[in-house]
Amino acid sequence: MEDLILPKNKLSDYINKIKSDYTIFAPIKKDELTYYSQIENPSDISLDFINSKYPPKSILFNQTETLFKFKHGLKAEISFKEFKNSKNVIFGIRPCDAKSFFIVDKLFKDDYVDPYYSSKRENTVLIGLSCNLPGKNCFCTSMDGGPANAEDVDILFTDIGDKFYIEIKNIKGENLIKIGENLFNKPKDQDKNKLKQIKKKAEETISRKMNTTGIVDELDNIFDNRFWKDISMKCIGCGICTYGCPTCHCFDILDETSLREGARVRVWDTCMNPEYTIHASGHNPRPARMNRTRNRVYHKFNYYPKNYNVIACVGCGRCINECPVNIDIIDVITKAREVKT
Amino acid sequence: MLKNLTKWDQLKLMQKVNFEPNIVAFLCNWCSYAGADLAGTSRMEYPPNVKIIRVMCSGRVNPMFVINALQEGADGVLIGGCHPGDCHYVQGNYFARRRMAVLKKLLDYIGFDERRVRMTWVSAAEGKKFADVIKEVTEDIRKLGPMQKIRRKNNW
Amino acid sequence: MVDRKKLQDEVTRVVERDDVNYVVGWEKGTYGFQMTPLFMFSSDDVNKLSFNPLCVHNLTVFPMLEEKLPLRKGAKEDTNKIGVIVKGCDSRAIVQIIQEKGIERERLVIIGIPCSGVIDPKKINKNFSDKTKVLEVTDDDKNFIIKTDSKTHKIPKDELMMDKCKTCEYPNPIIFDVLIGDEIKNSKKTDNKEIETFEKKNLEDKWKFWEDQFEKCIRCYACRNVCPLCYCKECMVDQLNPQWVRRSVNVSENTAWNIMRAFHLAGRCIDCGECERVCPADIPLRKLNKKIEKDILELFDYKPGVNVEDKPLLSMFKPDDPEEFIL
Repeated sequence: MEDLILPKNKLSDYINKIKSDYTIFAPIKKDELTYYSQIENPSDISLDFINSKYPPKSILFNQTETLFKFKHGLKAEISFKEFKNSKNVIFGIRPCDAKSFFIVDKLFKDDYVDPYYSSKRENTVLIGLSCNLPGKNCFCTSMDGGPANAEDVDILFTDIGDKFYIEIKNIKGENLIKIGENLFNKPKDQDKNKLKQIKKKAEETISRKMNTTGIVDELDNIFDNRFWKDISMKCIGCGICTYGCPTCHCFDILDETSLREGARVRVWDTCMNPEYTIHASGHNPRPARMNRTRNRVYHKFNYYPKNYNVIACVGCGRCINECPVNIDIIDVITKAREVKT
Repeated sequence: MLKNLTKWDQLKLMQKVNFEPNIVAFLCNWCSYAGADLAGTSRMEYPPNVKIIRVMCSGRVNPMFVINALQEGADGVLIGGCHPGDCHYVQGNYFARRRMAVLKKLLDYIGFDERRVRMTWVSAAEGKKFADVIKEVTEDIRKLGPMQKIRRKNNW
Repeated sequence: MVDRKKLQDEVTRVVERDDVNYVVGWEKGTYGFQMTPLFMFSSDDVNKLSFNPLCVHNLTVFPMLEEKLPLRKGAKEDTNKIGVIVKGCDSRAIVQIIQEKGIERERLVIIGIPCSGVIDPKKINKNFSDKTKVLEVTDDDKNFIIKTDSKTHKIPKDELMMDKCKTCEYPNPIIFDVLIGDEIKNSKKTDNKEIETFEKKNLEDKWKFWEDQFEKCIRCYACRNVCPLCYCKECMVDQLNPQWVRRSVNVSENTAWNIMRAFHLAGRCIDCGECERVCPADIPLRKLNKKIEKDILELFDYKPGVNVEDKPLLSMFKPDDPEEFIL
């Protein structure tokens, strides 16, 4: 389908049209921080942000997810959740976060298809919003992405002033656009030029770069190097980097019970916590912070590419922005490449 | 309609209709628990809303117990210890006194009514005092109403 | 102001001691206004050391984070010392930990720097664009002087300083082996006005405020990990037998976590403000901890982290402790 234009003042009308069939998640501003949240009213949407504080992975991969419930009794009753085929729309997702779904899909749909994630993923349409002004620590261009990369979204909106330039990528997006047909216009040449300008400017604004050619082999060579001890001495093992990372997907499964009923719950976990790998015997194969920090870098840049052929990092820069002690993944990888064996 | 529910669910329904406060009491083994025992053997009447957990000393009571009790459905918590100077383990009740002073002020600051968490000195000979304390605490908490604020919803 | 050369000379002297493994200080970060902790093992490393008003981290958390891994057969325990550079507030953390016997005084070499206030990273990022190239940050009596590649800005301290510094009563390190720079005459006093105004609100308003805040919590435990006084071998939230705080993220569990952490820091929190600085959800954690600090001063006349000889608050008692709330 060809490109379209949506005037900004018609955005609320469009959202209202799709609201009846779809649950809409969009960025909202709360106390100066932007979060992706379910919205009832299109006026709640705030598109004045560089990127949200937490990634939208919490929409498809909830922080707390009930796997099944159980009740005591002569016959224990176990009840699974019904996977409602409710259709979702994530509006205003950035290209880096959209790419993260593509990366995490490979794991959740591997030999065992995770029904809790896939049932939501299949029924979600992604409306991307390209970045006009990338953040200071964004480096998506080094990770096979870009501020206007549309590979992983179904529809891409670009803000070109008082209108949105819309590019439709696949049939899912097409069906969603059809709902608001008469709100859209055809783009004019000046719109197309403005689009090119904005995309070029955004790419030029990205100043931080990470060289990832051959990183898998390089990391293989330096696993036992003292470099990892030096770089992770300042890590305090908190978990902000994992909870803020769009591709981090580790979880813990626990039973929560009250007297007569309970549930098995899946919660986010962080590999930076020593309890993540502690065995029932008390032995911990990753006893020191050095082991855990090194493991996180390797998981993203060595193990995941070996298993699924893609580096598990999208270059959103959230870990760099949030780390309390300024452990910078770009700095780590750059220094790792310079380590002399 | 009532007959179709299990006995447990019938009880819970009746509780919703007339509010009966749920009070958890942590009583120290040597003084307040013995005091409660004396109230029982002397056939003194006091409200049945209190559920007693025996601890060896009031100094054993971790504030986490109190918060957990409020989360699990207690409307009030009572900690009973020996009189100052009479603790079986010499100092336990002094530490408990300090902890509860800090905890009550913190709970008030968060927005929980600090009258839900009470502390009392009841000795092994004070059966009547125990019964009076329970009467007073139950009435106070009945007036305050059910504690909903950090109740574990268990609506997985 | 601290002379960089003098600081580096003194630290080199400590680093080159045989009985010191390494010294923790600060160096320039990788972007913007960031400073980052620096571990100095040799005098080459000391060249990167610098101290300026952007050094907001509390480095006393690192001696407590050192892992004591099981020793190989026949190996002797490492009794070498760790050097740590502290500001006024940070030194109180060390005093408090020594009071509780969490670490022995002989294990540390403390290099103290009197500090008149550090810059809040959240506030300074609002004032300057992302593209600013920072050359140097210093301060004089009234202003922070920020030199970028385009011009030199002089901003009054009150606008950029961390909130904790505005009421700091201990600008000079209380405990140190080496002191670098001149002692600062203290002119600030604790201000409890905000706490008192909040206390007077009614219960519903208070709970509404805290419920909104605790709903934002994602239980990353950054507040616990960055706190120098949270050094329990097994934190209560990691305990599974019994499980006190469930791992689900909802208001009930988040409230239990935050209240209990504040309680476990009663009489121990020295208001370094790190928890509030690192919280990704911007929860006002200092509000909770300062309330307890105020209460214990009124009820028990106790100030944490001031005197090494003091006994820890909840490990001791007085026969005439307040008990009007006891039936």
